[in-house]
Amino acid sequence: MSISRRLQKELADIQGSGAKPYSSVEYNESNLLHWTVLLHPDKEPYSKGAFRVQIDFPADYPFKPPKLTFLTKIYHPNIDEQGQICLGIVHPDNWKPATRTEQVLMALLQLINDPEPDHPLRAELAEEFQKDRKKFLKNAEEFTKKHSEKRTD
Amino acid sequence: METKFFDGSIRRVMPDAEASKTESAFASPICRPKRMQRNDSSQPSSSMNQQNGNVSDRTQSGRSKLSKAQVTVVSGKLGKISDYYVEVSLENPSSSKKTGTQKKTSNPEWNETIHVTIQESSEIVFRVRNKGKIFDDPLVGQAKLKISSIQRSENGQFAGTPNTLQLFDKDGSAPLGTLVVVLKGTLEKRRSDVRRENSQVETTSQQPPPSQRRSATASGKTRDTIIPSQQAPANPEDQLPDGWEMRFDQFGRKYYVDHTTKSTTWERPSSTPLPSGWEMRRDPRGRVYYVDHNTRTTTWQRPTADMLEAHEQWQSGRDQAMHQWEQRFLLQNNANASDDPLGPMPEGWEKRADPGTGRTYFVNHVNRTTQWEDPRTQGGATDQPLPEGWEMRFTEHGVPFFIDHNTKTTTYNDPRTGKPLGPLNVYGLSVAYEKSFRWKIAQFRYLCLSNGVPNHVKITVSRGTVFEDSFQEIMRKNPVDLRRRLYIQFRGEEGLDYGGVAREWFFLLSHEVLNPMYCLFMYAGNSNYSLQINPASFINPDHLKYFEFIGRFIAMALFHGKFIYSGFTMPFYKKMLSKKIVLKDLESVDNEFYNSIVWISQNNIDECQMDLYFVADYELLGELKTHELKPGGTDIPVTEANKEEYIELLVEWRFNRGVEQQTKAFFKGFTSVFPLEWLQYFDERELELLLCGMQDIDVDDWQRHTVYRHYAPQSKQVTWFWEWVRSLDQEKRARLLQFVTGTCRVPVGGFSELIGSTGPQLFCIERVGKENWLPRSHTCFNRLDLPPYRSYQQLAEKLSLAIEMTEGFGNE
Repeated sequence: MSISRRLQKELADIQGSGAKPYSSVEYNESNLLHWTVLLHPDKEPYSKGAFRVQIDFPADYPFKPPKLTFLTKIYHPNIDEQGQICLGIVHPDNWKPATRTEQVLMALLQLINDPEPDHPLRAELAEEFQKDRKKFLKNAEEFTKKHSEKRTD
Repeated sequence: METKFFDGSIRRVMPDAEASKTESAFASPICRPKRMQRNDSSQPSSSMNQQNGNVSDRTQSGRSKLSKAQVTVVSGKLGKISDYYVEVSLENPSSSKKTGTQKKTSNPEWNETIHVTIQESSEIVFRVRNKGKIFDDPLVGQAKLKISSIQRSENGQFAGTPNTLQLFDKDGSAPLGTLVVVLKGTLEKRRSDVRRENSQVETTSQQPPPSQRRSATASGKTRDTIIPSQQAPANPEDQLPDGWEMRFDQFGRKYYVDHTTKSTTWERPSSTPLPSGWEMRRDPRGRVYYVDHNTRTTTWQRPTADMLEAHEQWQSGRDQAMHQWEQRFLLQNNANASDDPLGPMPEGWEKRADPGTGRTYFVNHVNRTTQWEDPRTQGGATDQPLPEGWEMRFTEHGVPFFIDHNTKTTTYNDPRTGKPLGPLNVYGLSVAYEKSFRWKIAQFRYLCLSNGVPNHVKITVSRGTVFEDSFQEIMRKNPVDLRRRLYIQFRGEEGLDYGGVAREWFFLLSHEVLNPMYCLFMYAGNSNYSLQINPASFINPDHLKYFEFIGRFIAMALFHGKFIYSGFTMPFYKKMLSKKIVLKDLESVDNEFYNSIVWISQNNIDECQMDLYFVADYELLGELKTHELKPGGTDIPVTEANKEEYIELLVEWRFNRGVEQQTKAFFKGFTSVFPLEWLQYFDERELELLLCGMQDIDVDDWQRHTVYRHYAPQSKQVTWFWEWVRSLDQEKRARLLQFVTGTCRVPVGGFSELIGSTGPQLFCIERVGKENWLPRSHTCFNRLDLPPYRSYQQLAEKLSLAIEMTEGFGNE
């Protein structure tokens, strides 16, 4: 299967080399289209925990981008209560079939570490982030402690 | 638990189900007509209201019962004499319907009935508009009718008495006249409503709290993609139906177990009760189907309020669609011309019809003789059809040549005469004429006439069950007999069919079979009007039989020169013409897929790790399947050197994916009536015109609803463009429209309702490129790339060239 070969290779690349800001890619041997990954952001306040993200690859992959959804709740201007994310690299207008999941995950981590308040999914958090950074960091840290998973790194 | 089961019904996304994370390639596109969104510039504040309206609509529709009703707009009394029509809409203005225009009167009488789907909390808005000549139709006055305020009998039936409504301006002040309307139908109450009323508890507002509304609005505006995820049902009332259980798999993903049928599905089963009059049954093989006792019909799909509304919209739009359809024509000028594609008679000749048989004969007044042969085509062998498998084409210099598809050879010699046809044919008709659509139609008609079968074929159907009756009648006939003169009869309406009844039957039946609700056809991705075979049609176990029937029916429409209601996608016409599907064809069908393939073709793939092989994967009922694009493809990697071949194979496969059987059945039916070779005079765009006819295109309306990018409405090129459009005949206008939007059809509501791949998309002209470029088009965005030409002549020349080309030209 074409798609499996590519995904297997991507999996091997992701799991293969050294320390990564994410770990434990889980998937089902019989269907490689659905993964979950545990992200370990390295910047405050999200560095206090780990976040589980689901990656759903369409059958048309890599002609169509994967879909990413947060399974762990997160206090973040670009990720809404349902775990939906605004991520340019997997937007249909920007998607390139050569883009690899590893790059997508790096872009996602970048977004978690450095929120983009100009394109928010949660306007109220973006406002807080811009106007009262201290309060935002405090709220985000409390939220992270309460809801995030334990880091495995 | 990796296999998605299909629980027998395909559900459209329901308000409570949200976009399921595992929404499969099959479940998503089925029967989901895009709602048309009207851009109502006379109401600058409407967009906000609309969004709120949508939100509250969604939350309410899950709870309150929807019923069908009929509103009759009777008459109005208005201050001034003018041309008036009424736009009727519910809270959600996306689904407004219009009456016809009553001209030059201050007391318009419309007496038009409009079907609506309402609930207790609905409010019907009537907007009286002045039919404008240049700008948007100005609002004269509006009135609102609250359903809750209308008198009803015990069982919820409306009294049906006239309601006189005061018309107000937008701000709600100053009465401007009156409007008389009548509401008929029955609003059924839900048990909970009745309970609430009995216990005299006040109904609380069902609007979501403001914060919730705001976030919905905010996320709707974001720039980037929103990745849909499954939402927990916000509503505690949304319990699973009996016998269902929600479970989590090892990754924490939800799935649903149906203990009754012992199956599982990713999709949340509906707990919404069936609409009134519907019943769920199982056939002897245990398959679930649904009975609509209202119309005595059955369907494999679980009905939802949304679906019924869409169906209702499709059906209630029928009269308007039929009106538009009745205006269609194939060749311009007048009715005579369409009878007579060969143009005027020579000097001194006259065409007459034999009063006994109706057969045409020709009178030569000069030497007072008569003859059966048409003097315009007499004297040559070329009025004979080409032998089977042969096709005539033209070189780019306009010289005709012939292709023998049997031996795959070409020749300049006409197989009928053995001589070259030459730039001027034997009758001195110019090549330009031969290339003309008119000439091609004449050739095709000749083929049909000369292969006609004597006597007539009788088809009797009931109006209420046109689809089923016609299916039975047509499939039981010997297909060649369908070439006989048609004699259509509607039960209970005795009378002779001189063509009018048949015409109507073609409209009614095509309107019926193409209705996406039957799941045989679905809207193509890019537009609301072109249809393609639905890969999920197999939910109807007899679907292949139906496709064969539709194939016969479409062939009959072409053979008998009748128009059908709506057309297919351009790639589908290309298939009918056995033309090769190319990458560009994919653009309008699956834009994302198209973009990725374009990327592959433009970039050196050896430099990136694509890991592609000559196979293609797809999902069928939740299972991943693989198709080898060529033998042994599993082990052939795609490289820079062989990627062209890969793309070609992939594109071909992408079009056939999931519809091979259906397409085969369609062509089996079609070719049993006449061979596809007969169509080979035409290109795909001409075939659309032949099957659907042309309509008068209202250039004012078109121009009014066109937007510009990097041009201003006053730019020279724009002015020239419209000047050029106005100079065109209807056929050329239709071709221009096909070039830019992918179809010659104008939406029933006019150009303001054009739909693109991502929703409403007005016709757009963008300044792109250099003056020596040809214009290009993006059919999924209804966009024309018009280079900044220096003169009117240059613009006219380039555009004419672009719209004449059928493919590979003017495309990227």
